[in-house]
Amino acid sequence: MAFYTIFVAPDLPAEARRRARQAGPSSVYSRAEQQALLRSAGFVGITERDVTDEFMHFQRKLIEANDRHADAIRKSIGPEAFDQRLAARQASLSAIKAGLLRRSLFVAERPG
Amino acid sequence: MPTPIEREAAALKRFGDRYETWGGDASRLIDLETRGADVGANGYTTMAQADDLADVLRLRPGVRLLDIGAGLGWPSLYLAEKTGCDVVVTDLPPGTVRGAARRANEPPLSERCRFAVASADRLPFRTASFDAVVHTDTL
Repeated sequence: MAFYTIFVAPDLPAEARRRARQAGPSSVYSRAEQQALLRSAGFVGITERDVTDEFMHFQRKLIEANDRHADAIRKSIGPEAFDQRLAARQASLSAIKAGLLRRSLFVAERPG
Repeated sequence: MPTPIEREAAALKRFGDRYETWGGDASRLIDLETRGADVGANGYTTMAQADDLADVLRLRPGVRLLDIGAGLGWPSLYLAEKTGCDVVVTDLPPGTVRGAARRANEPPLSERCRFAVASADRLPFRTASFDAVVHTDTL
């Protein structure tokens, strides 16, 4: 199994963790670290490759691209939805820059 | 406090609505400008990162890949095309899964891709049905 996932950086103080959860995708809820979750599910040979820098770069590219095509997107999804999405992306970028959100590639194997 | 069922229903509506509005010219242009191809993606996996998945999972013809929470099929449809593997694409919103199926409706890709509406925690497959599993920005 291999997966990319966004998660709250470990060992954050409570307020920073709350800010990270608000800025991250809706599924960023777990208090447990990803590798611990994988081990508890019985996976072995677990590796992690941090891709947070690429995540930050890509989020920035998405914001710029959405800005270039703002008129067309607003027509497609409505101005309110567009503004909400843009605000969410900007909050995410800010949280990534502050070290609150990370993204990694996890690879794990079934035992046996 | 919403119940688990209410949370799942809200997520289903949110992602279903998002993918229902996908496909406009602006969305395609954004995909092309940021990822280099119109792949219908809603996450942060770049083309290079998709290629890394092919490497770490050793995808090749005959390998059976499951993509969980696949949206419109990124990156699994790309991986099927690039490596020759077989893929089953799953997600929860039915319209989203139909959208993915439309992206793979011609041979040879259509012969190696299957689609299923399924929740990640209640997958309708027998144990050991797949050689590899992938998900991106799903958990």
